[in-house]
Amino acid sequence: MSGGRPGGILGGYVPGNSWLHRTPLWVKFLAVLIAGAASFLLLDWRVSAVSLAAVLLAWLSAGLGLRRLAGSTRVVVPLLAVLFAFQWWQQGPATAARIVLNLLLCFVAAGVLTATVPLQDLLDAVARLASPFRRFGADPERFALAIAIMVRSVPVLAGAFYEVGDAARARGLERSVRARTLPVVLSTVAYARRTGDALAARGLGDPDEDSSL
Amino acid sequence: MSRIELAGARVTVPVEADSGPREKVVLDGVDVVLTESRVAVIGANGSGKSTLLRLLNGLVEPSSGTVRIDGLDTSRETRAVRQRVGFVFTDPLSQLVMPTGREDVELSLRRRHPNRGERAAAAQEVLGRFGLQRLADQSVYELSGGERQLMALAAVLAVDPSILVLDEPSTLLDLRNRELLRRTLATLPQQVIFSTHDLELALDAERVLVVEAGRIAFDGDPTEAVRFYRDLCGAGLGPL
Repeated sequence: MSGGRPGGILGGYVPGNSWLHRTPLWVKFLAVLIAGAASFLLLDWRVSAVSLAAVLLAWLSAGLGLRRLAGSTRVVVPLLAVLFAFQWWQQGPATAARIVLNLLLCFVAAGVLTATVPLQDLLDAVARLASPFRRFGADPERFALAIAIMVRSVPVLAGAFYEVGDAARARGLERSVRARTLPVVLSTVAYARRTGDALAARGLGDPDEDSSL
Repeated sequence: MSRIELAGARVTVPVEADSGPREKVVLDGVDVVLTESRVAVIGANGSGKSTLLRLLNGLVEPSSGTVRIDGLDTSRETRAVRQRVGFVFTDPLSQLVMPTGREDVELSLRRRHPNRGERAAAAQEVLGRFGLQRLADQSVYELSGGERQLMALAAVLAVDPSILVLDEPSTLLDLRNRELLRRTLATLPQQVIFSTHDLELALDAERVLVVEAGRIAFDGDPTEAVRFYRDLCGAGLGPL
């Protein structure tokens, strides 16, 4: 898994000077928050579809590229397809479409944020946002670190899916759910342990002098 | 140089056996004081080399005994110890947390330089010191093994530790990159403690420890230590 594929929708900053790159960070933060609340706010699948179309349009107009979009949605499509089928069976097609479209909306909106904001700016903003919690003993830098780890982990875990899929195909086990999922789970746990060790060794997870969280 | 002192350091891990849970001894009462500038640790896979190195940074706590770095107890004063002891892992991708090398070096510097501009300038200086500016903005996945290892080294050295611990740093490198790493290590002002299977690299050290079955089987001159280790390996092979 160490060689996870780069890129993906949360794969990092795409340098550019588009209107989305120039949009203030707080506006983009707010947009992602609203997209995150979409599951509760958007109750009609047609509104969800229009919202998703708007975010996709923003993505394309910022020059972020279809390839990056297609590459990363490929990872979540199987999961969403299973979810869609289950929800259709449980609650009907309209609800299934709404849930899946809202999840995609969150996914793409988060992708717009990470692709148009340098990670260091994002971490500085998260640390600033979390600074009021310092009075309760929290360390803002640890909030920022959590975001950094999350952004870093998405392409690594996506890479694990690809690699395990390739290995399963090479052994003629492409239809084996066990061969395609168990190694991903094991390598994810191993990755988490290695990352934890690396952070601890660099003292990055240690609380600062003034905080206890 | 710093003073690294292990006194009766014993490390055990719980294992499941047929007879029930028991403890496996990984390191068995290691007593050693290291003050040399370059110390190599050699030994077979599973001999306890990595555990010995992890004790120095507080990544592993001794089950009994003590490990002190300049008098600081690694179990109780871990934070202060980690400010002194940088640790480089075998696989640099495990430790490069950010998408690019520049961002990773900046991550190391966040607490030291809360101001973005100062942090960026400090990161640029560190990258320049290692000749990594042209690679700094590439994805860490696009770098070669040697470049990644240098980037990981730069990120660790950005906060100026006085001791650098490297766990098999050349294992994943080809000959060219191994040579690059070797030259880089030779120029560092830090006290360097490293484990390796590369006996040529071990001969660069001032002192070599041979670890066998959780104990220090030999401690001393590099040439003699390598000879001892070769004999040890040869004796363990038996007839084919």
